[in-house]
Amino acid sequence: MTLSNPTPTANYADDAVDPLLQIQELNVEYRTQRGAVKAVENVTFDIFPNEVFGLAGESGCGKTTVANAITRLLKPPAYITGGKILFQGTDILSMSDDDLRNFRWEHLSIVFQSAMNALNPVLTIGNQIIDAMQAHKATPYDEARARAKHLLKTVGIDVERVDSYPHQLSGGMRQRAVIAIALALNPELIIMDEPTTALDVVVQKQILQEIKDLREQFGFSIIFITHDLSLLVEISDRIGIMYAGKLVETGPSAQIFADPKHPYTDRLMNSFPTVHGPRKELKGIPGSPPDLIDPPKGCRFHPRCELAIEGECNVIIPPLITIAPHRDVACHLVKEPETAS
Amino acid sequence: MTDKKDRQPILEAVNLTKHFQTGGAFSGGVVKAVQGASFKLYRGHVVALVGESGSGKSTIVRMLARLYEPTEGAILYEGENVLEQKGRKSLLKYRSLVQMVFQDPFSSLNPVHRASHAVERPLKIYRKAIGKKLIRQKLLELFELVSLTPADEFVEKYPHQLSGGQRQRIAIARALAVEPQVILADEPVSMLDVSIRLGILNLMAELRERQQIGFLYVTHDLASARYFSDEILVMYAGFIVEQADSEDLISDPKHPYTQMLLASVPDPSRGLKTADVDIEGEIPDLTDLGTGCPFAPRCKHVMEQCHHAMPEPTHLENDRWVRCYLYEDEAVNMTEPAAD
Repeated sequence: MTLSNPTPTANYADDAVDPLLQIQELNVEYRTQRGAVKAVENVTFDIFPNEVFGLAGESGCGKTTVANAITRLLKPPAYITGGKILFQGTDILSMSDDDLRNFRWEHLSIVFQSAMNALNPVLTIGNQIIDAMQAHKATPYDEARARAKHLLKTVGIDVERVDSYPHQLSGGMRQRAVIAIALALNPELIIMDEPTTALDVVVQKQILQEIKDLREQFGFSIIFITHDLSLLVEISDRIGIMYAGKLVETGPSAQIFADPKHPYTDRLMNSFPTVHGPRKELKGIPGSPPDLIDPPKGCRFHPRCELAIEGECNVIIPPLITIAPHRDVACHLVKEPETAS
Repeated sequence: MTDKKDRQPILEAVNLTKHFQTGGAFSGGVVKAVQGASFKLYRGHVVALVGESGSGKSTIVRMLARLYEPTEGAILYEGENVLEQKGRKSLLKYRSLVQMVFQDPFSSLNPVHRASHAVERPLKIYRKAIGKKLIRQKLLELFELVSLTPADEFVEKYPHQLSGGQRQRIAIARALAVEPQVILADEPVSMLDVSIRLGILNLMAELRERQQIGFLYVTHDLASARYFSDEILVMYAGFIVEQADSEDLISDPKHPYTQMLLASVPDPSRGLKTADVDIEGEIPDLTDLGTGCPFAPRCKHVMEQCHHAMPEPTHLENDRWVRCYLYEDEAVNMTEPAAD
């Protein structure tokens, strides 16, 4: 089985399945001396059981802020100013600290970009996995150690490495170790924030294959965050595209790739040189992402958009509308279908 | 694509080798960062040097920029070995011909000086413009050349007021200030956002076309190498293992490592529908390379001889070569002595 085609395991297409995670009208701002940076504005999307949801966008678009809001890792000056994040119906944002501690890692774990910084340099890999387990459940050391070894084996690390320190491992192995820790308590959802960005392309491929196999084996959902859209199309069931704090488009990966609706998605898709097909001239996107202290009026992409309609795009904020099942776009050029499909 | 056949190379690396000593006098080892790298750069021609981290590509660039002294080998500028020319004057002269653009535009510009400062300094040091009026005129021209317009506004800005792409344009303007023949670009777009990268690549492509500058484009990204370059060199563990025209290399990679690298590039049109790539092992420790091919432990075509000696370049049709024993039967005779 592969991840690319909308697989039978991808439950988003099944109306009978309730979403695992619902993010509703999420707003986050960073309060700085220069003013409030509206890093995330009215972001709404669902994650279904056993699916890979890819969240893509450029630096500063708010994708990591969304991840940190879901895990409640945001610290001042970041404030959640509105919205709900429901995990199986329970609002994460209103959990008590104790509930949160139990919730994290048992139901939701996170894999950060830089495995180098995520691991404790003075503890062995094995002990860090054991720590994660014992913090949540009183587990006898021997049992925890056996499970740690098993987890290392699962992510493709030689079990002998259980007593290695992080500096003794290569970048790819460290990232695998971090994934092993994320798996320690069998969570339903793993957030992976640029898990392969710091790695070489060959190692990245190895890790992605590992992630794919693990998901097939354990059936967890993944929110996969990256700036690399070509990678995302490869591994996700569905994709959400963020621009300047807004979710501008969501849809099944194959559709986003073949038929992007939002001009930003379209241009982003055409910003990647490829190694396949004919070599063609690519243009990129003129201009730079906006300053979020004072974002452009109307659609935030309009100053860079060739198709912008004067008097509409620069005035009215386009709402996120549903144009087909699981296909949402926020653009004035895309109209709601006349008849409900 | 420019035809390089009938022209003289402008810059040539001949058997460049760099070993770094590590640790103490008795306990230390030797990191063989680059071994026997040979290639040629031509005017208006782009060569991409592709490899993973630690493959030695940045070391090659630094040797060519004369920031590192090679352990062995020669750097020929229009046929003359520049390593034999000592002293500040010859170094200045060399650097007025060969310039460098660094990876990180956030650290390569001095934060306390305006953008104009970075570009004015080479103009003054290399006496490319004399007198305030001429310097100013040249400065604005350079800013316009890299599409930082209106130029008179951009020259006044500080680095923190500029985006990564704009900073990288200033770094390019700085390199262009001395009117170089060759630009060594070390991962110039890898720190930039995807929507910005193409702007920089297209700018460099334009400079190549209009000013006939020769580029050495160092990258880990095969796709951008194919986009921007005429020719690709693939590095693995200190060795250049394959050289070919970009399209030939992408459509028909010869070295097993190149094949693995190419198969690892994410491809949305493919999805994971294709069979998984068989990727075994990791990059070897450069202090502990045996005598054989460094890729042998990971190679599925490995033969007995691979463990004993690194193969010399086998020249193939279409003006390409590969350092792999698999292709010895396909070797073509070279009219000129092989670049070894």
